[in-house]
Amino acid sequence: MARKLGKDFSFLPSAAARPDHDKRVQALDLARRLPALALSARQAAASAQAGLHGRRRAGVGENFWQFRPFIPGEAAQNVDWRRSARDDRLYVRQREWEAAQVLWVWADLSGSMNYRSDHGAQSKLDRALILALALADSTVRAGERAGWLGLTRLSAARDIVDSLAVALIAQERASDGAFADLPQAAPLRMREKAALIGDFLVDVADFAACLQRLSAQGARGHALMIFDPAEEDFPFSGQTEFYDEAGDLLRAGRAEDYAAPYQARLAAHREALAAAARAQGWTFALHSTARPASEALLNLRLALTADGAR
Amino acid sequence: MNFLPLSFASPWLLLVLAGAPLLYLLLRVTPPPPRRVAFPPLRLILDLKKPDATPARTPLWLLILRMALAALVVIAMAGPLLTPRGAVGAKSGSLVVLVDDGWPAAQDWRLRVEAAQSRLEAAARDGRPAAVLAFSELPKEGLTAQDAAGALNRLRAIKPKAFLPARAPALDAISAFLKAQKSARVVWLSDGLEDADGAAFAQRLAALAPGAEILRDLRGVQAIAGADNGVATLDAFLVRSTASGPFAGRVRALDAKGASLGDGDFDFANGLTAKASFDLPVQLRNEIARLEILGVHSAGAVKLLDAGSRRRRVGLIAGAADEPPLLSSLHYLRDALSPFADLRVAKPGAADPAGQLLDEGVDVLILADVNASAPALRKRLDAFLASGGTVLRFAGPRMAAARDDDLFPVRLRRGGRTLGGAMSWESPKPLASFDESSPFFGLTSPAEVTVSRQVLAEPDEGLNARTWARLADGTPLVTAERRGQGRLILFHVTADPAWSNLPLSGLFVAMLKRIVDRAGIVAKTTEPGANPGAFLPPLRILDGFGALGAPPAEAKSLPAGGLPAPDASHPAGLYGSAAAPRALNAFDHGMKLTPLDFSGLAFRLGDLAGPRPVDLRAPLLILAFLLALADALASVWLGGRWRKQVGSKKAGAILAGLALLLALAPPPARAQNVGQRDMEAALTTRLAYVVTGDPRVDRISREGLQSLTETLARRTSFSPGDPRALDPAHDELAFYPLIYWPVAPDRPQPAPEVARRIEAYMKQGGLVLFDTRDADMQVAGGPPTPAHAWLQDFLKNIDLPPLAPAPPNHVVYRTFYILEGLIGRAENGPTYLEALPPETGKENRPALAGDGVSPIIIASNDLAAGWASDSYGEALYPLDPGGPRQHELALRGGVNVVMYALTGNYKADQVHVRELLERLGP
Repeated sequence: MARKLGKDFSFLPSAAARPDHDKRVQALDLARRLPALALSARQAAASAQAGLHGRRRAGVGENFWQFRPFIPGEAAQNVDWRRSARDDRLYVRQREWEAAQVLWVWADLSGSMNYRSDHGAQSKLDRALILALALADSTVRAGERAGWLGLTRLSAARDIVDSLAVALIAQERASDGAFADLPQAAPLRMREKAALIGDFLVDVADFAACLQRLSAQGARGHALMIFDPAEEDFPFSGQTEFYDEAGDLLRAGRAEDYAAPYQARLAAHREALAAAARAQGWTFALHSTARPASEALLNLRLALTADGAR
Repeated sequence: MNFLPLSFASPWLLLVLAGAPLLYLLLRVTPPPPRRVAFPPLRLILDLKKPDATPARTPLWLLILRMALAALVVIAMAGPLLTPRGAVGAKSGSLVVLVDDGWPAAQDWRLRVEAAQSRLEAAARDGRPAAVLAFSELPKEGLTAQDAAGALNRLRAIKPKAFLPARAPALDAISAFLKAQKSARVVWLSDGLEDADGAAFAQRLAALAPGAEILRDLRGVQAIAGADNGVATLDAFLVRSTASGPFAGRVRALDAKGASLGDGDFDFANGLTAKASFDLPVQLRNEIARLEILGVHSAGAVKLLDAGSRRRRVGLIAGAADEPPLLSSLHYLRDALSPFADLRVAKPGAADPAGQLLDEGVDVLILADVNASAPALRKRLDAFLASGGTVLRFAGPRMAAARDDDLFPVRLRRGGRTLGGAMSWESPKPLASFDESSPFFGLTSPAEVTVSRQVLAEPDEGLNARTWARLADGTPLVTAERRGQGRLILFHVTADPAWSNLPLSGLFVAMLKRIVDRAGIVAKTTEPGANPGAFLPPLRILDGFGALGAPPAEAKSLPAGGLPAPDASHPAGLYGSAAAPRALNAFDHGMKLTPLDFSGLAFRLGDLAGPRPVDLRAPLLILAFLLALADALASVWLGGRWRKQVGSKKAGAILAGLALLLALAPPPARAQNVGQRDMEAALTTRLAYVVTGDPRVDRISREGLQSLTETLARRTSFSPGDPRALDPAHDELAFYPLIYWPVAPDRPQPAPEVARRIEAYMKQGGLVLFDTRDADMQVAGGPPTPAHAWLQDFLKNIDLPPLAPAPPNHVVYRTFYILEGLIGRAENGPTYLEALPPETGKENRPALAGDGVSPIIIASNDLAAGWASDSYGEALYPLDPGGPRQHELALRGGVNVVMYALTGNYKADQVHVRELLERLGP
């Protein structure tokens, strides 16, 4: 549990983790600043969901595809009478089969995320939540479908930000504010995509197992590691007592002595996470809360749409 | 602790230092608390715990710092005293302090008291008995030893006196004391001057108490020896006792009421005497009652001037006017009198020279060979004498020839006497020496002064008493007689060398000066019924520091003849009557400032300004405080906050800034800020609004006034500065022509003084625009709205004119635009102004106005919300009913109100200008 001890370097109260109105507005604001996220069209081909991406074959869709001759025995309502009136045969209008891409978003809402130092613009949790909601909104506005991994169903509704927020609050109430620090979801279907946003301060093995489970059916995704500048720079010195949300304590006589080992370990941890992601065909990126959120969203969007090159 | 000049007031407190090891242990086991830091990625380094991770011990240097701090406090509490080696005195035996308390000691009295005090305090610490003896107040029952605290009290009771006490009488008491107290130590705080009997006293003291300590001020004593009211300037003559280097300063002249009349600079350079001159008009010089050396506080540095120092006005009339200079009596008189008197000579050919001179207010009238028998002249002279004037007559052929002239002190024998002439049987006579009763007593009569011819007095009874000067054979030469309050004096010779060579001698000048000096005294001190020979009671007496005060009980009356020097019964000061006091000065011409010579005597000489014991308590405590500050900084540094908060590079700059902040007291800075704001407000006329405390209302006010300001600048010749938010309780209101006050009914009422300030602001011509912002809530005939109730509550303490709804042709609707009403967010709310006088006669005037500007406007349409514009000039807030026209009308209303506040009812007259021009035209 977070303890408010000083102005700097302390956990925020858990109430700050709610996806309240301000954060939703920020998420919407952020999403509106970027063009709607249209996931890569090639990926869309195999998807069964109706969406933007024309599949060059007749199916359920909006756009005209072709007229084909009426097959006797078909329902008469299929006949396109306007076309059929031109000659003696009956025709059926076919539309192009348009499919939608699917994006599952997930953000780490656990206690370790609820942290912000003086150098960070936002707490990690706020940033992750806003990015996730913005990504979902952006996806839906592009005509795709989105959902919260392990929490909601896919939706193409315009108010997805609100519905996700409602679901998250309900989840928070149900679980008494405790969130897992990795998604506990069943494997995703092929061609579906996922965006995981969190600080991933977990065992690399757990992280790898999670990704493996998610992509067991061929789904791919992107992991974005969010960190506070203080977590990277280690700006501590003198007598310092460190604690984390799990209750661990470390008393350092000279905190500066810990800077170099910590930074080495952090780099190793990141490298291991990236390797685990690559092993499952995922991409992995870093984002500091000192940087603007739009930068992260842009990178996320690039990563999610440009994987055709892979 | 003889090896160190250090002693302690309460040494037992040092035992506390024995507890230091305990403190050492305590400090060692309680290190400063670490800083707690939340750090989510902690598990990455959780296994990195190093053996030295937790400093269970305080760092050694911090330990030393804190121990030193504790030790300093303990030592300071023990009262350490650093005694310089030279000042180390005996540790046993009683102490007797002899204090010179004449006026020469007053100059550095504080030093003397401190020196005596430090020695008495040392005695008090050691529990030695002590005694204090002041030479002016010898104890009647002899000198007895008492405890040092009592001696200290005795010392504080001593004040310097305005005379020089004799020291010899104290010797008996001192020797008795020294007999009783064998190992007594003698300290003499000497003024270093011979005074009355200094050398003899010093010798006998050296014999009585060899090795006595003498403390004197090596800088010496300054005094004003005398003052001379000369021809053009009044000169003060200064002396000092030792030529201890250059000494320059200033003498100030004060009148009887203590007002400064002028300053004169003096510079001793390296000499013993100096002069300060006052170049003042003679009337002002005569007003001078006191001269004092600035910065020197002793009775000797004060010179009291009485009537004797006034420069007299002397009128001269000669019987024969047009004689060549060397034969003219006027010539000799003028030359003799001009150094010390203000001469007036009757204009040649004046009809009534005596009357003319008397009209000029002369003190002494000299008639040289003038026939004073004319009745008119005689009458004037009698009146002059009766009122206190002095008439000095010189004999001569005309006077001797006048038959019925009898204005003489003595009866004259008709016909002169010629000595040494052809018809004479005697040679010219020299002068006899002067009697003691004569005012000329003390002057030497040179043998070469001879009289060859004179008028003779009849040997009447009382002639001797009236004679001031006589010839060697006893013939009266100068006679005088009191007439009324004045004096009539006759020189039996002429004022020119025709009858005697007296006018050629210096004696002539001295005699005239005595007469002139005495003239003033006689004229002023003599009151009806007063006996001239009586004693003069003390009037105001100087204390040793040179301040005049009520006479002490021991001051006695002064003999009329005066005293050469003040003494215990007659301290320096003013004596006689308040109208014409006689001054007795502490230091005068006759006295000398002779330094006392201690050489060859068995004394230990010390300098008053020399080293004395230093109490180390305060410096030690300050040091301890600084150490405590350093300790606090160290704790911050150890806690790691230092680098986080300030960074090591900025630390120096921040420390310097802190020191600067400490050096600059905050109050001036605050005053500067206020002054700056008011100065800006005074330099640029600007609109102002009252901060209600409701952030939304205040924001609307600011935006509304900003828009109105821009509109005014664009449309009118008035370019106001940026609008200002006012706190009516603290800000100066006088700089703002118009104050907009939106009523926020949910805010508490302002303090009562706000109502007083607003009332004062209205009284001095300000205009307050209250806006109740409740036009949409008002119901005709209904209860008052909350805003109205609030405003009524506020205004009930303010003296207001009667208010009335503004008529449509009120001048406020005509000042710039022609309007129907004041419109804001709403447009139907009423507007109240000071009620106009009832209209008489002329109906349909285009604009109505009373005398002056209404001090108050109460609007209800939420004007500021109507004025507020966005960057496109459109209304920022939704208006009711709405539209750009309403926004425009609202702004026009605002412009009109500002114009009304600035121009008053001038526009009401201006609407008539066409008619006026028509009337003026042909």
